[in-house]
Amino acid sequence: MDSASPDSTPIESPAERADATTAFEPPRRGFFVKFLAGALGIIVGVVPFVTGLLFFLDPLIRDGKATPKGQEGNNPEGVEKDEDGFVNLNVTIDALPADGTPQSVKVHDDKVDAWNKFLNVEVGTVWLLRNKDGVTAFNTVCPHLGCSVDYRQWKSDFYCPCHQSTFDLNGDKLNPTPPRSMDQLEVKVKDGKNVWLKFQNFRGATSEKIAIS
Amino acid sequence: MNKLLNWFDDRTGIRELMHEALFERIPGGARWRYVWGSTLVFTFSIQVITGLFLWTAYSPSAQTAWESVYYIQDVMYMGNIVRGIHHYSSSIMVVLMAIHLMQVIIDGAYKAPREINFWLGLILLQIVLALSLTGYLLPWDQKGYYATQVSTKIMGATPIIGPQLQELVQGGPEYGHHTLTRFFAMHAGVLPGLLMLFLGLHIYIFRRHGITTPDPDRAPETTFWPDQVLKDAVACLGVLAVILGLAIGFGAELSGPANPSEAYSAARPEWYFLFLFRFLRFETVEHIGLAFGAIYVPGALMGIITLMPIIAWWKGDGGHKFNLYFMWAIAIGVAVLTGMAFYEDGKDVGHQTAIAEANRDAERVRELAKRLSKIPIEGAGSLLRDDPFTQGPRIFAKYCASCHRYNGHNGRGRMVMEQLKENDKNGKEVSRAVASIPTGADLGNFGGEGWWKSLLMDYENHVGGFTKIEDSEMAAWSKDSRKAMQDPKNADDVKAIYEYLASLSGRTDREFDDKQVERGRQIAAGEEFITAGEFASCTDCHGTLGEKFEATGEGFGPPDIADYGSKQWLTAFILDPGSDQFYGEENTMQVFKGKISDRDLDLLVRWMTGDYYPTEVEDYESKVNELEEALKARKGK
Repeated sequence: MDSASPDSTPIESPAERADATTAFEPPRRGFFVKFLAGALGIIVGVVPFVTGLLFFLDPLIRDGKATPKGQEGNNPEGVEKDEDGFVNLNVTIDALPADGTPQSVKVHDDKVDAWNKFLNVEVGTVWLLRNKDGVTAFNTVCPHLGCSVDYRQWKSDFYCPCHQSTFDLNGDKLNPTPPRSMDQLEVKVKDGKNVWLKFQNFRGATSEKIAIS
Repeated sequence: MNKLLNWFDDRTGIRELMHEALFERIPGGARWRYVWGSTLVFTFSIQVITGLFLWTAYSPSAQTAWESVYYIQDVMYMGNIVRGIHHYSSSIMVVLMAIHLMQVIIDGAYKAPREINFWLGLILLQIVLALSLTGYLLPWDQKGYYATQVSTKIMGATPIIGPQLQELVQGGPEYGHHTLTRFFAMHAGVLPGLLMLFLGLHIYIFRRHGITTPDPDRAPETTFWPDQVLKDAVACLGVLAVILGLAIGFGAELSGPANPSEAYSAARPEWYFLFLFRFLRFETVEHIGLAFGAIYVPGALMGIITLMPIIAWWKGDGGHKFNLYFMWAIAIGVAVLTGMAFYEDGKDVGHQTAIAEANRDAERVRELAKRLSKIPIEGAGSLLRDDPFTQGPRIFAKYCASCHRYNGHNGRGRMVMEQLKENDKNGKEVSRAVASIPTGADLGNFGGEGWWKSLLMDYENHVGGFTKIEDSEMAAWSKDSRKAMQDPKNADDVKAIYEYLASLSGRTDREFDDKQVERGRQIAAGEEFITAGEFASCTDCHGTLGEKFEATGEGFGPPDIADYGSKQWLTAFILDPGSDQFYGEENTMQVFKGKISDRDLDLLVRWMTGDYYPTEVEDYESKVNELEEALKARKGK
């Protein structure tokens, strides 16, 4: 194969070529060369892959440090929140039925999502029940597998249509489907009438109530 | 184990396949010069791996592309490394491709019967260039945005189908969401798919013809595994080391978020396209037209390269020689043009200041995005749009820099120049660019200690910039009091006076010494005398001092200095420096009432009074000395 004169290069037929390949005995090489070739080949492949994989594991590795350090900017349009993390539901206790009928109320909060911070957006819904001690709140997310729990007026209970979890108005489970009772949330009544709530979601399908931070 | 392998081999023929893949014959032994093709496959694999991982975090839309890339780069674990690898691998891939192509031409590996494989290689080259072009836009930063605008405009200059082609590529008449989704689909789907297809064909045909050996008797024949694999792996390791070094050492750039209304004069294509950029800047090329320079000429050159295998048929060695000369001519041309572009940009002051501004914006927006308030939903562009530190200098340059300077420059780091027309020795009129003479104060340290020092000590030179203001009561005061102010016995008092006057601004970004402020106030208000010598107090002329801010004068001159340097004072002053509150009839400054929008004025004033999110970004270099030199030179001539 003389590169200087192209005409001399024979065009092999595929059959000839296949013959040549199979007939040819590869030379025996020392273990060291094979090992080195293999090892280096693996290293150059693994390095970019592992770097990428670590990047992909970011949610686990950076867990709890999701927010980079920096000063808070002013958010006059943000939600009203006290130092204990309670948000104002903008509901007065008098607006809730005195007989304890559950009322569903949307919860607004400032929500961090990767690079954005959404101000005053809906983050969930709660059932509010007025009782003699004040107000009880349940997260509407079913502790079973995360559907929304409805209130059934004609049975006076809470019912999840997905897998038929049922709870009484105290949030206690009435059948074995849900692993635990409904998730009660902390409530503060300020100035004797305004309802504030610490909104949290919890892990599904566990008998323990574990907050998702 | 062997049994399992046999079972698997019976059904798949894996052994033969592996044998075929690994035991390719290499007459003349393994050589370093054969590694280039493998390093290209390797860099492409890196791009696929890192690209897929970046895909898991990238969000292609006009409001989220920059933001998601910022998040990858500055927040996510190892994000800067992964993006850095992806970024630099693309450059390395272009370099390796050029080497591979030149090697193929030098060794005559493009000649019969390998013509088709050569053409497949050229197709791969185009795909890789298209990948780098589409990838450049995806971060949606100023640099990528403006550089890619040029590419799509060139596309629009294609004869006949240009405008339609451009609109199709952009997904509309202008850049927007669909430009990104289309570029992303090309970059991450269509082009890599095509590349894999053509790479498969390329390798298949390469194996069919075997390696081109310049010297088959050099060493005993060997096989791909393990001899050549070892050399290839070492070469890949070298490539990887270079890429990692660049990624960790420099990192991938991310300029400010794309903003169609904010000109980006630092725009350049990726460095390996610079030769084309420079070629298009030749006046003759510009004169003939964009389609000529950007489409016909490169098209013709590519055409000749494509015809190389056919040219090589020509009489013995003649065709090959022509190809070689042609290749070296292009290589040298590209190198010279690239060098010219770098050299010219290096000494182009305008380009350098544009880069300085771009860097300042880029660092600032990332600083703002890191706040707990994060990035608003309308995108990171608004962070810069509403930021006094970013907009103040621009507004200053627009409204103030015709008279004032900011540390010697126009607020944006540039000297203010003007054309001076003169007659040369032969009486012919010539014009030259000279530094403009400032007629207002340099506002670089407005309201601070340095400001007060120069104002009190040297009023006649302070207020007018480089224009002396002698006919002024304040200048007279400055002359009279200079002696007392320079008396060492008064050093503490003078410092206290500066401190007090600076404190009038009520700025919260500076700290003031209460004791000094009080001592300064007593002297300024005439309640106490200065330690030694004569010194007329401020309240002898100025009506209000440290009291509530209200108009007292009747337009006779001495301006109110209550709250001097505060937002409120400066706003009122800029709007109407000729009001009774300020210079009255003696005012020589332009009145801005009705000439500047409330928003611009607010941003300008907040910038000048330090009312913005604190920054660690380096500001423009002071040009005070340069200005002095330039003005001296101007006078000297």
